[in-house]
Amino acid sequence: MRKYLIRRLLQIIPVIFIITFVVFVLVYMAGDPVALMLPEDASEADREALRAALGLNDPFIVQYFRFLLDLGQGNFGTSFRYNQDALPLVLERLPATFELAVASMVVAIMMSIPLGIYSARKRNSFVDLFITGGSVLGKAMPNFWLGIILILLFAVNIQFFPVSGRGSLLHLVLPAITLGTGVAAEMTRLIRSSMLEILGQDYMRTAKSKGVNNGRLIYKHAFRNSLIPVVTIMGLQVSQLVSGALITESVFAWPGLGQLLVQAVNGRDMAVVQASVFVIAILVIVINLLTDIVYRLLDPRINYS
Amino acid sequence: MVEKLLEVKNLYTHFFTEQGVIPSVNGVSFSVNKGEIVGIVGESGCGKSVTSLSILQLIDKPGKIVNGEVLFNGEDLIKLNEKQIKKIRGNRISMIFQEPLTSLNPVFTVGNQISEAIRIHQKVNKQQAKDKAIEMLRKVGIPNPEKQYYSFPHLLSGGMRQRVMIAMALSCNPELLIADEPTTALDVTIQAQILSLMKNLIEELQTSIIIITHDLGVVAEMVDRVVVMYGGEIVEQASVYDLFENPRHPYTQGLLKSTPKVHELEYELESIDGNVPSPDNMPTGCKFHPRCPFAMDKCKEEDPSLLSVGNDSAIKCWLYQDRKVVQV
Repeated sequence: MRKYLIRRLLQIIPVIFIITFVVFVLVYMAGDPVALMLPEDASEADREALRAALGLNDPFIVQYFRFLLDLGQGNFGTSFRYNQDALPLVLERLPATFELAVASMVVAIMMSIPLGIYSARKRNSFVDLFITGGSVLGKAMPNFWLGIILILLFAVNIQFFPVSGRGSLLHLVLPAITLGTGVAAEMTRLIRSSMLEILGQDYMRTAKSKGVNNGRLIYKHAFRNSLIPVVTIMGLQVSQLVSGALITESVFAWPGLGQLLVQAVNGRDMAVVQASVFVIAILVIVINLLTDIVYRLLDPRINYS
Repeated sequence: MVEKLLEVKNLYTHFFTEQGVIPSVNGVSFSVNKGEIVGIVGESGCGKSVTSLSILQLIDKPGKIVNGEVLFNGEDLIKLNEKQIKKIRGNRISMIFQEPLTSLNPVFTVGNQISEAIRIHQKVNKQQAKDKAIEMLRKVGIPNPEKQYYSFPHLLSGGMRQRVMIAMALSCNPELLIADEPTTALDVTIQAQILSLMKNLIEELQTSIIIITHDLGVVAEMVDRVVVMYGGEIVEQASVYDLFENPRHPYTQGLLKSTPKVHELEYELESIDGNVPSPDNMPTGCKFHPRCPFAMDKCKEEDPSLLSVGNDSAIKCWLYQDRKVVQV
């Protein structure tokens, strides 16, 4: 296990280099930032002077290495919009994003595990039909729509939850349900089908022939096996949530990474875009690594070497 | 007077599928005496596995036991509720299955799975269950059992896995062991080891066995009495000596002829023509008549009944119905 971890951590290094390159190229191709930085009536000579001062006339490769050097010192440049360093700006949004991601996952897990298991056990019953139908609906509802409807119902008509923003636990409920519903829908279907497959396995019959009771049969013998394919998808979903739920954060004015990224792109605040994309990429790598570790802990058949 | 441990009476197990009712087991009756080894023989799909699963009510939907009694020490297992039958399963009657790899849960250690069986039925703590499990592993001939206790099933060989299954099944000293094709998935050399292991253990533990197989070699090796099944019904019952010496039913004769014999140098291996009838499309009359070399007109129209021909033997064939026999 330790060897495996070290190897996986070493593998991250080249990936990070590739990410820095992609991030740099993205911004390099996005066009001339000078036009945005100077007032409209600035002369061509002024622009040229600023380009020279910022090193924008240097060859591509020189600019890239300068970028890497800055990066090594944690310097992504300065945000035009906030007039401060881009990286701390991004990092201070992380707690809000994590908070929402964790809350949504809790909602998703609490809904999908019991529903998925129940509908697998009662396959083809009316309840199963209801749950599978509901999960299609849950997956089909766009987040912006669900978010607005929830605001309308529970924050405007019944004024129980706040309309938007972050602060108390109450602020968290509606955005977490909005995000969690789609994830729950996907996971419910996955748990159901995975569970159905496991319930038909020979070892379930063996366990039953030993006199194992139903609860233990499901939650010990079947559940852990059925989680193996589910964990992979869960990892992907968490990556998505952590990368900033762009739409949901916008709808609820949730001050997370997604909101910052959308604003930065709109304002062509390239330093912030670079820093956000970089941080998100690192998070996704870390989550993938964690997923793989969980996967290996669940399934002893997977070799560490 | 021999004591009957298990008596299956007139068992019907049907599968209610969307395509219709499939009568997998159709009026099967047989018994197992204390200390006896009974073999159930037949081709794939003859209902032998379904019969064995029915004994412990392990038939999953859409299958259902529609009629019959399974008397275990005089108590009808079919009338028991879930809670009561669970006290029997793995404790007084246990099972081992054909494919030891898929029959063991891949995410738990073999030790965990054996001690689970022990802890369900016996009032012991974790450590005692573990000690007992290790003792069972040693009994079934697994080397270094203290270490293998922590092995996952995929790390063991096929023979070792089946030994683990046997250890698990015998861990609560059951009165009856049902072995569903216990050696079919194993190499021939391993088969012999597993059979002799089972034989030694049951002598030690005084367990009765129902062994389900299509391998007549296994029958000759292990069994006291044989039940031959065809198309969900019993077609012949006899002591193992009687059956090999004097097979009565044309199907049994065919089965014996299609088994290779090592000591005869020149002979042609025969086979039974035709295929096992599919359970949703059974022939009329005697179910074996389309494949039977002695089929008469009567066989196509009327189904014979299983009649005792003395000597603890019974047969279901028109060739023997005119004799002075008693219905079982």
